[in-house]
Amino acid sequence: MKQKRLFVKAGLLAVILVSATLISWEIHLRNQGRGISYDDSGSLWSEKRKQVYEAIDKATVFIGSSRIKYDLDIPTWQNITGDHAIQLANVGSSPRPVLDNLAEDQHFKGKLVIDVTEFLFFAQAPFVDKTPKENIDYYKKETPAQKFSFAVNHVLESNLFFLDKEEYSLNALLAGTKIPNRTDVYEFPDFPAGFTPVTFDRQSYMTDRFVNDSNSVNQVTRVWAMFGKMSEKMPPVTNAAIDGIIASVKTACDKIRARGGQVIFVRTPSSGPLLAMERMAFPREKFWNKLLAATGCQGIHFEDYPPIAKFECPEFSHLSVPQAVSFTKTFISILKDKGWRFPSHNNLTASTNSKI
Amino acid sequence: MVFNSLTFIVFFAIMLLLHNLPLAWKVKKINLLLASYLFYAVWNPPFILLLWLSTVVDFFVGKALYAQQNPYKKKLLLVVSLIGNLGMLCFFKYGNFLLENFVQLTSAIGLDFHPAKPTIILPAGISFYTFTTLCYTIDMYKKRSEPVRSVLDFSLFVTFFPHLVAGPIVRPEQLVPQFETPRRANQTQLVQGLFLLSLGLFMKVVLADGMLASPADAVFGSLAPLATLDAWMGVLAFSGQIFFDFAGYSTCAIAVAMCLGFVLPENFKYPYAAIGFSDFWKRWHITLSSWLRDYLYIPLGGNRNGKTRTYINLMITMLLGGLWHGANWTFVVWGGLHGLFLAGEKMIQDLNKNRTPAIVKKRSFAIQGISGVQLVKAFSSSKLLLALLTFFLVNVTWVFFRSPDFTTAWSILTSMFTNVEGGAALLTSLTIIKITVVISLMFICHWVMRNRKVLPLTSKIRWWVLGLVWALMLILLILSQESTNSFIYFQF
Repeated sequence: MKQKRLFVKAGLLAVILVSATLISWEIHLRNQGRGISYDDSGSLWSEKRKQVYEAIDKATVFIGSSRIKYDLDIPTWQNITGDHAIQLANVGSSPRPVLDNLAEDQHFKGKLVIDVTEFLFFAQAPFVDKTPKENIDYYKKETPAQKFSFAVNHVLESNLFFLDKEEYSLNALLAGTKIPNRTDVYEFPDFPAGFTPVTFDRQSYMTDRFVNDSNSVNQVTRVWAMFGKMSEKMPPVTNAAIDGIIASVKTACDKIRARGGQVIFVRTPSSGPLLAMERMAFPREKFWNKLLAATGCQGIHFEDYPPIAKFECPEFSHLSVPQAVSFTKTFISILKDKGWRFPSHNNLTASTNSKI
Repeated sequence: MVFNSLTFIVFFAIMLLLHNLPLAWKVKKINLLLASYLFYAVWNPPFILLLWLSTVVDFFVGKALYAQQNPYKKKLLLVVSLIGNLGMLCFFKYGNFLLENFVQLTSAIGLDFHPAKPTIILPAGISFYTFTTLCYTIDMYKKRSEPVRSVLDFSLFVTFFPHLVAGPIVRPEQLVPQFETPRRANQTQLVQGLFLLSLGLFMKVVLADGMLASPADAVFGSLAPLATLDAWMGVLAFSGQIFFDFAGYSTCAIAVAMCLGFVLPENFKYPYAAIGFSDFWKRWHITLSSWLRDYLYIPLGGNRNGKTRTYINLMITMLLGGLWHGANWTFVVWGGLHGLFLAGEKMIQDLNKNRTPAIVKKRSFAIQGISGVQLVKAFSSSKLLLALLTFFLVNVTWVFFRSPDFTTAWSILTSMFTNVEGGAALLTSLTIIKITVVISLMFICHWVMRNRKVLPLTSKIRWWVLGLVWALMLILLILSQESTNSFIYFQF
């Protein structure tokens, strides 16, 4: 009897303490002016991957690195074109594994936009393929139990701010303690709050608070500088390697186009010292022009179009939400000029991202 | 379905509701059986057929074995069951491994043989339910117990979802009688079960996945030679990870069964406080080690045929035990090392028996061979040192268990025991702090709890302290937000 009371009382106390803690934490976060963010993991990627079979005149698939995730404002795209944007790009990754996966999938016959961030697209280091390969593997092996968990988790993530894994998980909070690191040990960069939120459509965005906080912005630019220094130590990409990569990309694009699909490459904006470094390390004639010439695909390089040529990215690499809206509108116009067809042709006064 | 998933929480809530409705016991058992099949099928639906096949074959073969009087026919039936069960296990688990070794063998003798590499997917939990059904048919052959009368009870014995995928490996006499009479958890059992479930999930999600998995993966996946500190930290991290992962699963399984009114056998007793390897195997994966003892070591002759034969039996048992964990020679070496340590202990025991006078014997080691080493209580500091020595040696064996190949294992062992020139520092300060804190607390906890059990202990502390601890575990569990990673033992 005593033991029964002990456990019941302890259980009730635990429920009260857990509820009080989580409710307080949730209220605190909501008062910080933060938005909902989703876990951009294999389950969310798989959910989007399943959608690529929509008819060619109904949807467009986007693959690439983080830039297209920030720069394509999906609500603007969908509002103007009436076309479903399926975001399959992966942060810090090359699009090539996903391109190969789509090329091998006989049922994919849709429109495909490939974002080219040269230092990832032409990289040969295994880490650029890691996330895309893990996501593809997850998609292929996803179990019914995982699908159900994802559906339940969606409901929870859509309503609870503290379920932002990138910023409020236990490990993220511990990482925020800023314990001095051992010398010569690589530590994955700690991105500041407000730089990594993700919508359910897998659009990444920076919060206004982040954009207006120069300390946070500088923290990210220091990360890019660190990556720049690290890449200086790596051997340059050889011509043979470039040719090999382009040849494999051409093969994949040919397969998709042979089935009636459409493929276009896009070089999304960067600015400041990062753009200067990219121009130097990846000259257009050696990479971008060669890629388009070899594959025979169309391409949109931001520097060729004045309305999108002069963006000043907050941290030199990605667009803020208002910039992404502007970029997306121009991008759609350019695509239309290049003969791309969309379900509807609404006016270009699309609302800004309602989910942000 | 894994316990650490939202799907399971929904599933379990429905099961609790159904099990507590005023329904006939047979209907509740059918519910449990269907739920168990669902639990398994949502992983990979086609593999449910293997489970059915195993259940049906062993139910009927078991009955026939018990009734059969003709010794030849009896042996034939046993062979049918062994071929059915072990054949399935060999094909799915060891098919690729056997083929690879055969190709290497043919290559060694100069033959050019290149077969197509088969794509064989390992059905989850096959090693566990195969052992569950095997012990039933062997028991029937030896008439240790009576055959299960109802196919429903037998199916539930094999398939009961808490133990199905990763144990504890149950014996018929432990579970079947529980299906014969109506069972429902009372309020205390239900709340205690929920407490244990919280504890099991905390061990898996917060400690194994959240704190230790990543550094262990980084160290064992490193291509470069490592600095000594990093190599040790990686091994300690894995040591903690595999304990929290597997003991966490077992705790969840016991807890879930308890919430439904059933009792599953204990599988872990604070193994890192073990004094010696025989003590370790009385504390680590207890249901497997007792299975190996009863169905392999003793049938091989155990310690009944002289010292040499005892050592050989011990080694065979541990080598096969190693191979049970995975189709790789590294697991065999891991089992072999445990066999050597066990044999060494047995040897010390034999020497001690012969040389130590009776009076001194009382004050020195009371070594009990395969059943464990126990020191005299007065030497408590020696006990702690011996526990630390055992923990140290167990960590060395984990290197082979976790390494994907021998090259990695040697590289890590070299880094652990020598100062490798240019050895890379891999782990961040924060990671090292996390590992040190978690592993130190784990060892202290094991040492303090080595002769205690959780539930009786919790009944001795104040309710609000228990409530605080429980709340802390749940908060950390929710904040961890780790993805629903599979348990390590699912692959075995």
